[in-house]
Amino acid sequence: MKFSIQKDRLAAGIQDVLKAVSSRTTIPILTGIKIHASDEGITLTGSDSDISIESFIPSEEGEVLIATIEETGGVVLNARFFNEIVRKLPASTIEFETSSSFQTIIRSGHAEFSLNGQDADEYPHLPQIDDENVFKLPADLVKTLIRQTVFAVSTSETRPILTGVNWKIENGTLICTATDSHRLALRKTAAAGLPEGEYNVVIPGKSLTELSKILDDTNEPVEIVMTENQVLFRSKYVLFFSRLLDGNYPDTSRLIPDEHKTKIDLNTKEYLQAVDRASLLAREGRNNVIKMSSGDDGTVEISSNSPEIGKVTEQVNSLAAEGDELKISFSAKYMMDALKAIEGTEIEIQFTGAMRPFVIRPLHDDSTLQLILPVRTY
Amino acid sequence: MEGFYPKNGRVILHIDANAFFASVEMAENPALKNKPVIIAGNPEERKGIVVAANYLCKDKGIYTTMALGEALKLVPEAVVIKPNHAIYKEYSKRIFAYLAEVSPLIEYASIDEAYLDITECAHLGSPIDIAMKIQQETVKRFDIPISIGIAPNKFLAKMASDMQKPLGLTVLRKRDVERVLWNKPVLDAHGIGEKTAAKLQAHGILTMGDLAKADVKKVQSIMGVRGVRMRDRVNGIDDRPVDPEANTSYKSIGNSATFPKNIIEPASIRVKLRMLSRAVSERMKQKKAVSRTIQVMIRYDDFKTITRSQTLQRDIQEEADLFAAAETLFFKHWNGEPVRLLGITAQNAVDKRMQTTQMDLFSFQEEADKLEPLFTTVEALKRKFGDSIIKKGWME
Repeated sequence: MKFSIQKDRLAAGIQDVLKAVSSRTTIPILTGIKIHASDEGITLTGSDSDISIESFIPSEEGEVLIATIEETGGVVLNARFFNEIVRKLPASTIEFETSSSFQTIIRSGHAEFSLNGQDADEYPHLPQIDDENVFKLPADLVKTLIRQTVFAVSTSETRPILTGVNWKIENGTLICTATDSHRLALRKTAAAGLPEGEYNVVIPGKSLTELSKILDDTNEPVEIVMTENQVLFRSKYVLFFSRLLDGNYPDTSRLIPDEHKTKIDLNTKEYLQAVDRASLLAREGRNNVIKMSSGDDGTVEISSNSPEIGKVTEQVNSLAAEGDELKISFSAKYMMDALKAIEGTEIEIQFTGAMRPFVIRPLHDDSTLQLILPVRTY
Repeated sequence: MEGFYPKNGRVILHIDANAFFASVEMAENPALKNKPVIIAGNPEERKGIVVAANYLCKDKGIYTTMALGEALKLVPEAVVIKPNHAIYKEYSKRIFAYLAEVSPLIEYASIDEAYLDITECAHLGSPIDIAMKIQQETVKRFDIPISIGIAPNKFLAKMASDMQKPLGLTVLRKRDVERVLWNKPVLDAHGIGEKTAAKLQAHGILTMGDLAKADVKKVQSIMGVRGVRMRDRVNGIDDRPVDPEANTSYKSIGNSATFPKNIIEPASIRVKLRMLSRAVSERMKQKKAVSRTIQVMIRYDDFKTITRSQTLQRDIQEEADLFAAAETLFFKHWNGEPVRLLGITAQNAVDKRMQTTQMDLFSFQEEADKLEPLFTTVEALKRKFGDSIIKKGWME
């Protein structure tokens, strides 16, 4: 293998695949990045066996020459050293040359590294995925779907299925659901490009978080292929594979209340800031609990009391309020997470009682739903 | 016995565990006795500073905050130990628990110091008898030497306990103040630091006697209201009460046990963990406390000690729950070596009435159906008659 390449393009490619490389892996070769040079360009691969990322750097892009391949071939180099070396090399082009014993010379300016590599044939093969059932969504929509749901996945392994986000496609609508059993985030979309068939998969939260970092904030299409145990996201130059979680995702639709006893409309930003202030004193306490109460005259009060620190109360202006008086306690953190995930300057919150989940939605928009379970204070 | 007690005054003990960290290490490992012992960070690298030292070191000029390298020049043969705060805390708690048996009027001043008001303890003997008994018991029970100052108030008690160390027993009466304290520099007065001492010196106040006789207005102009209080104190006047609530930031409740023989059998380790869980659970119930952070301490035969903790999703108090958490932690972190000490601590314990429960999406239905009628009734009562009309009760 022998080629030269623009440093910044190589560094960007490494940054992408590095997101899949873990230093704690049971398969030693996975601590490395696979580099493959073909006549079309350079392909980098990183994997922790749950997530695999492939980044392609074309030798030419339009009129611009990015890489010159003199001899095709491949090698696996230690990811940490490879990344650090490339970032710190002095010149804007880098030359690579691999010997038959996989020793790789990396040259740039007057610097020359000789790095011990491994046989690229030893590197595990990426999952083979049929291109039959491809559908496309814009990259920025995929990012939004992830942002609005992934924060609610469980971080505890007690119910492993809850560490993932459920992607369910039915009748041309995609529903993404995440819950850690204390709160639930749901986002629906009927965007053009969704397939007619039915799909129901659970994608690990960690995979989606990493995917979201790699995708650009543009409306370039991302091709998505879902199989029995893998999902593939493909953008122009990046392939992102993730293992799916085993097991059935619980049916949460019946747990989301469809009626309410109290409904309050609020300005999202004002309400978020009031909750944030009240949580200042609650943070030290258990569960970060704040109280919310509403009177029959439409007043809403947020309060928190930590006997050792102090207390806070704040009146919040509601845009509209109807139904029963209300007194409820909940985690300020869950509320802030939910409010930050909602797009929309105004929200409505529907309550069905102090011991039942309540639902937050942007006003006049039912594509997003955030549900929170209250805290029982006695 | 009442004759030994003042009719209108108080009797306060200031109890100070001498060279506390070093004493604990020697109590835990008797082989260290009669050897110079230094507690310091980073002993391997000879960097770090002296955190504590026993009297064999102190007598040769080693003092706390000295650089370890310097200290080892003075006493090259000293045994240097890394501080193990978990075990010091544990000893501290046990000693204070014993002191609280003598008199409930106890104020924790620090990990190794406490004030004890024994004004109402005539039934236990004269103040000196009580102090001597405390000294003997702490040596017998914990192998920790302490110095005690006996005085009518906190300031004098503190000054007295500092006069003889280790194992000192000093009585300081108000009438002794002029003879004993007044010729000493102001810096020796508890509550005056180097900066304040320098300020006072600049105004010609060098000794406690100078301060005691100084004009009140002058003292106030130098060091504010605090100065007036310090002037009172060096005159033997200090009416601060011994306040048991003052520093009760003892938010953890724990028990530990050192075994006569090291144990290694998982079955016998479980027996010990269960025993400790029971003890901790009982104390939590006594204090009406719940906790969700459980810590296990394991000390191996070579005195290597580890503490590992886990934060649970909910508050616990019951023996079975504590045991389950402790067992999981222990077997996750145990290296399989013989164990000489085990400890279980419930950290960040809070009053059970503060307990809150995050409800669960998959189980709220049942809970709500059961509790909602009660909740609604209580809310209605509170609305009608005020918040204090009804409170949660306790099954004892």
